[in-house]
Amino acid sequence: MPRLHRSEPHVRHWSLAGLGLLLVFAVGLAAQQPTPAPAPETPPAGTPPDQVTLVLQPGDRPLLRLAFPALAPLAAPAPAEAQAAARELEEALRADLLAAGIFSLQGPAELAPLELTGDLRHDFEQYRSLGNEVVLLGELKLEGDRLALEGRIFDLPSGQAILGKRYRGTFDIARRIAHTFADEIVLHFTGRRGVALTSIAFYSDRDGEKEIYLMDYDGRNQRRITAHRSISMSPAWSPTGDAVAYVSFFAGSGPAIYLADIASGLKRPVVTSGSLNTSPSFSPDGRRLTFARSLGSNIEIFVCERDGSGLRQLTYSSGIDTNPAWSPSGREIAFTSSRGTGRPQIYVMDAEGSNLRRITFAGEYNDGAAWSPDGTRIAYSARQANGQFAIGVSDLVTLDSRLLVVGNGSHESPSFSPDGRRIAFTSTRGGRSQIHVVGAEGGESRALTSQGNNYAPDWSGYPQ
Amino acid sequence: MKTAKFVLPLSLMLVSLALLGCPKKPPRSAPVAAPVASAPVAPTTEIHAETSPGTLSDQVEVDPLADPDIASLNAHVRDRGLLGDVYFDFDRAELRGEARERLARNGEFLRSRPEFLVTIEGHCDERGTNEYNLALGERRATATRDYLVSLGVAASRIRIISYGEERPVCRESNESCWGQNRRSHFIVTGRGGA
Repeated sequence: MPRLHRSEPHVRHWSLAGLGLLLVFAVGLAAQQPTPAPAPETPPAGTPPDQVTLVLQPGDRPLLRLAFPALAPLAAPAPAEAQAAARELEEALRADLLAAGIFSLQGPAELAPLELTGDLRHDFEQYRSLGNEVVLLGELKLEGDRLALEGRIFDLPSGQAILGKRYRGTFDIARRIAHTFADEIVLHFTGRRGVALTSIAFYSDRDGEKEIYLMDYDGRNQRRITAHRSISMSPAWSPTGDAVAYVSFFAGSGPAIYLADIASGLKRPVVTSGSLNTSPSFSPDGRRLTFARSLGSNIEIFVCERDGSGLRQLTYSSGIDTNPAWSPSGREIAFTSSRGTGRPQIYVMDAEGSNLRRITFAGEYNDGAAWSPDGTRIAYSARQANGQFAIGVSDLVTLDSRLLVVGNGSHESPSFSPDGRRIAFTSTRGGRSQIHVVGAEGGESRALTSQGNNYAPDWSGYPQ
Repeated sequence: MKTAKFVLPLSLMLVSLALLGCPKKPPRSAPVAAPVASAPVAPTTEIHAETSPGTLSDQVEVDPLADPDIASLNAHVRDRGLLGDVYFDFDRAELRGEARERLARNGEFLRSRPEFLVTIEGHCDERGTNEYNLALGERRATATRDYLVSLGVAASRIRIISYGEERPVCRESNESCWGQNRRSHFIVTGRGGA
């Protein structure tokens, strides 16, 4: 498969976004590239590298053993600002590749014992001697006021080039350059783009009242986007990442739904009538929202257009119906209902309100449905006998459920990364409530936040 | 909230007028500044207003529930237990027997003061999810409102709002605190049509 050609949409994207990131595509070993020539037995430039592509799927255990020696540094003398950007880029690239969860990484420390000569055929054998299957060689260059990264991945020990990319951008987007390359590498090896350029929305009381915040996927660049000095909560990304819907009490008449435009920072009301409008979730086409709304003496699931018009009721039950989540296909909506038992359970209905079926049966209190991007699983907050919450996952076909994160604190509000390989959630593991990330198959979680209490992560889609 | 902002300066003006020697104007802040013991008493009480050191003014009758300062009015209502909180079972929004008794008294008071507009806040303990608790608090406030309406209080006088678990009255993690937080809470928000 000609995976490398998929980089072309990126070119359009970044130039449209005005980020100043210049992506010069380089397939394999395009002749114009000024880096060292590969070992002689390498196929000629332009040869599709399919035969060495190892496709890893989520859940596959064997990690690809990747040698990643230090990037060739900027030629002296380079200004301090450029050197700092270069360090940031390399650090971010290493962190991204490690976080991707598909590589067993050997860095400069692990590779130190090797006797490298600069002769690629010899060096490839050296990397191979430590068990590595592929090697990433990269070089940083200063081009005016811009930083350029040239990176190549070679199969070992054949020396065949698997992937070659060149990126250039201003110093302030050094991390973005690293994230872009890392996502491309992950795309090559898994068939699915990495999530290093995605963001997580959440709410926090770190500045006093609860406000809406954004952060990069790795917890960097945490920034507040509301200043209502009230209770603001329940952020939900639009599919394209241009806006975040959220709930706020600031108008004083109960929780209402607003939309924050990310580029302009402007906020506008979506649904503010009535005493309660909560838990917004976008349709995958970004044109509509589903949410919970109080009606008379009841709380039901509604949909409306993105501007709040066209309000339509989907559920009609005497219990509480709340916290809807639109499925990735757009055809279904998962939500929480207390119908029947008087306590919350997860249900799925077709997006027009018909074909209702119950999804969760274990435990007496399940809420906060989050769809996996492929639409096969739903993660949720499952209250345990001790009153603490665990992250549960149910398979939508078999209805089998299991607990993904349980014990040692309370764990709530799961949200899948757009590649389906990770789940962000709220955890009280360290005492206060923080945003954590765990692999979608479980394992150790990692805290992304540390200031104040932080809640209800919503992982963005891929940037567009 | 806006009403309160206008009312506060107004009440300060009235107090100033009283201090300037206008004996027929009651010093309205007095009953609030020194609330009497918590035992419920009739909403009208008598106080002595002192207009100058050493001399007693005419005895005047003050209705603390006529206080134009809504915050002072609410403090009075709270201290006298005139619109007491209603408590709920864990995960539930149905009214218990004692809740209905409490609401009967609250309803009687509201019928006796038909000019009062009230907001019923629904609250939850921390043991649910934030989202479900917003809905549960709404149900608690709704059940409270609906019962008062069934007792003859005009629905148009009652606004409801759910704070879920976001505004607890007690912040510890124990049954005593949780029980206090599972409540409908009343606030007088203004005076309107009778």
